[in-house]
Amino acid sequence: MKHFTNFSRAVAAGALAVAMSTAAMAADGLNLPNLTYRTGPFAGTGTPIMNGQRDYMLMLNERDGGIGGVPINYVECETGYNTNKGVECYEKTKGEALVTQPWSTGITLQVLPRTNVDRIPILAPGYGFSPMSDGNTFAWAFNPPVSYWDGAYMILDYISDGDMTSLKGKKIVLLHLDHPFGKEPLPLLEKLAEMHDFKLVPIPVGLKEMQNQSAQWLQIRRERPDNVIMWGWGAMNAGAITEAVKTRYPMENFLGVWWSGSDADLQNVGAKAKGYKSISFNAPGNFPVMEDIRKHVVSKGNSMIKSEADLDTVFYQRGIVISLYLAEGVKTAQDHFGEKNINAEQLRWGLENLNITEARLEELGMKGMVPPLKTSCDNHTGHAGGWMLEWNGEAFVQASDLLVPDRDLIRPLELQKAADYADNNAPWPGRGDLACN
Amino acid sequence: METLYTVLIDPFVQMFAMPDFFLQVLWEGLVSGVLYSLIALGFVLIFKSSRIFNFAQGIMVVFAALSLVGLHSFLVPYVGNQFVAAAIAMPLTLGIMYALAMGVERMVLRPLVGQPDIILFMATIGITMFLIGFGEFVFGGENKVMITEALGIPTGAIEFTPFDGFLLLEEKDVFAVVMAIVLVVSLLVFLNKSAMGRAIRALGDDHTAALSVGISLSTIWVLVWFIAGVIALATGIVWGARAGVSFALEVIAYKALPVLMLGGLESVSGAIIGGIAIGLLEKIFEIYWGQPLFGGNTETWFAFIFALIVLLFRPQGLFGEKIIERV
Repeated sequence: MKHFTNFSRAVAAGALAVAMSTAAMAADGLNLPNLTYRTGPFAGTGTPIMNGQRDYMLMLNERDGGIGGVPINYVECETGYNTNKGVECYEKTKGEALVTQPWSTGITLQVLPRTNVDRIPILAPGYGFSPMSDGNTFAWAFNPPVSYWDGAYMILDYISDGDMTSLKGKKIVLLHLDHPFGKEPLPLLEKLAEMHDFKLVPIPVGLKEMQNQSAQWLQIRRERPDNVIMWGWGAMNAGAITEAVKTRYPMENFLGVWWSGSDADLQNVGAKAKGYKSISFNAPGNFPVMEDIRKHVVSKGNSMIKSEADLDTVFYQRGIVISLYLAEGVKTAQDHFGEKNINAEQLRWGLENLNITEARLEELGMKGMVPPLKTSCDNHTGHAGGWMLEWNGEAFVQASDLLVPDRDLIRPLELQKAADYADNNAPWPGRGDLACN
Repeated sequence: METLYTVLIDPFVQMFAMPDFFLQVLWEGLVSGVLYSLIALGFVLIFKSSRIFNFAQGIMVVFAALSLVGLHSFLVPYVGNQFVAAAIAMPLTLGIMYALAMGVERMVLRPLVGQPDIILFMATIGITMFLIGFGEFVFGGENKVMITEALGIPTGAIEFTPFDGFLLLEEKDVFAVVMAIVLVVSLLVFLNKSAMGRAIRALGDDHTAALSVGISLSTIWVLVWFIAGVIALATGIVWGARAGVSFALEVIAYKALPVLMLGGLESVSGAIIGGIAIGLLEKIFEIYWGQPLFGGNTETWFAFIFALIVLLFRPQGLFGEKIIERV
């Protein structure tokens, strides 16, 4: 009992210390919260990304004293990828926050209208609602460097070897999570199917069926599609890849979105999944920035990774890239406004005026890790493109040159869906009082 | 007219036109059904002996599988051989499940003896929350690979060519079916032939009468929770071998709810037959009716609708006991 009492006191003291330090941190510095999902059915996707995001911010604090000399307060709020908890986390963290990172299409759609009122930018790299690209409608939302529609286009571009007319008469299955995220590419894929006369067969996977997709893969066996495109998240990915191996579906014809390309999902089947591909906006490799993370974070025991091998995975490095966009947004705002302690509105401007050139990437030790990116008032995505990665049995390797989306094709659809959203949520503020400069 | 054809004619035409495919559908349904039965068995055993609906059964599957994989990866560097590590990790995991059963009995059930059923049910929700937090704290949330080969589970496939087509049976699915059969038969023999088994059944029939003849409530509860832990471990191994070990396995436990509605909460044979029936029917419905008529994903609701229809006619489930209480 005595030990238990001592333990309780120690826990209480620790909790108080954490609370005090959090309060102190909230008082000054750059408050950049993250609505993480390290728990629940989707933790397999979330954990390595969150580790990468966190370690990049810790590295900036250790190496540079933060951004522009101002320390970063990187605070995580756990959502378990649950929309209700995500909204709670948004409300809990928005007080001092310069940004919100909702980390789920469902949460993004829920907090999207609130951010206009709260005047906090949403940063949703590689996820969220594709029409968020239209900055004139969604002034506070950003989804660099590519949207889901960009991803769907790039996958079809790769399958057709750059000539989509060759898809005529083919059958393509979209195996997707039955969730707002999984349905996101459908408008563009349906449009492309109509334009190029191929048959699109959407096959949904329910949340309870993620690990038992035998019915979905029986349908794929019956349909005999030329290609299967996977829009999966979390446990759905490993489930689908296992079933694909079991069904003996040709792996070279099986491709996934960037969230379906985690090393951990493929390790379950290893060499049997050789040839599986995933589009990605970051290419894995041993870039100079990784050395800084090893030196300033991992070697000091401050990382949450389980082993150093995690540093080489696609998802960990994607976390780094995502924090890079946020850090560059902060820096752009600091430089423009001549203030170190910026506010949320200034960060919004920074994210709207990102210009991450090849030279800047080289300076950051990330040349070749991610394509250059430029955002603007009416382009909150940047549409930088990505590479096709291929599983070689042990790891993902780059399997294509840079693929870029066809903006002329996608842009009208984005504008139309953005206008539909604004009409359905009238009165929608659009840019409101925000000037474009 | 076209809809009528899709509902009444086309499914049967397809079954006859592609009989090898139909056999594959039946096999996949059987495998799913056997695995649903395993999860449902864990619920039934605990309910039978203590009238508690154990909400924690799903997370026990995750916790058991994570313990096995975690202990194995911890031991491999020390013993240098994955098979030896698995041989040590397995009894250690069983030990953890026994310790969990002891802990649940001492810290949760014993202080709540005599409380209304709803209190005990809420307590199992508390156990779920604890195991989620503790499991994530110890093992992390990342996907892990089940130690299939180290456990000696075959990973190949058996191919048949019936009706000039092909039928593929994954050896690990065959293993799952065989293991489930062995587990169920052992359990039935234990419940019907051993003194402890009879004591569990006696408690299920009448708590007060069982206590009056000297049956120890706490011993039986520890035993039952331990058996539920063993079933959870077996379920975790076979599900984990299919798609990795993660907290998503917990969701699979919800698939056992319609099985329990159908089979009855107190019937071991109900859990087995109900599980297999739901596994087969939901798969056949999804492939031949669900996908053409509803665009697929009917497995999320089919089993519940089917169980509800059965409950309309048999409120106690297919094999549940009809209790008449005189007041």
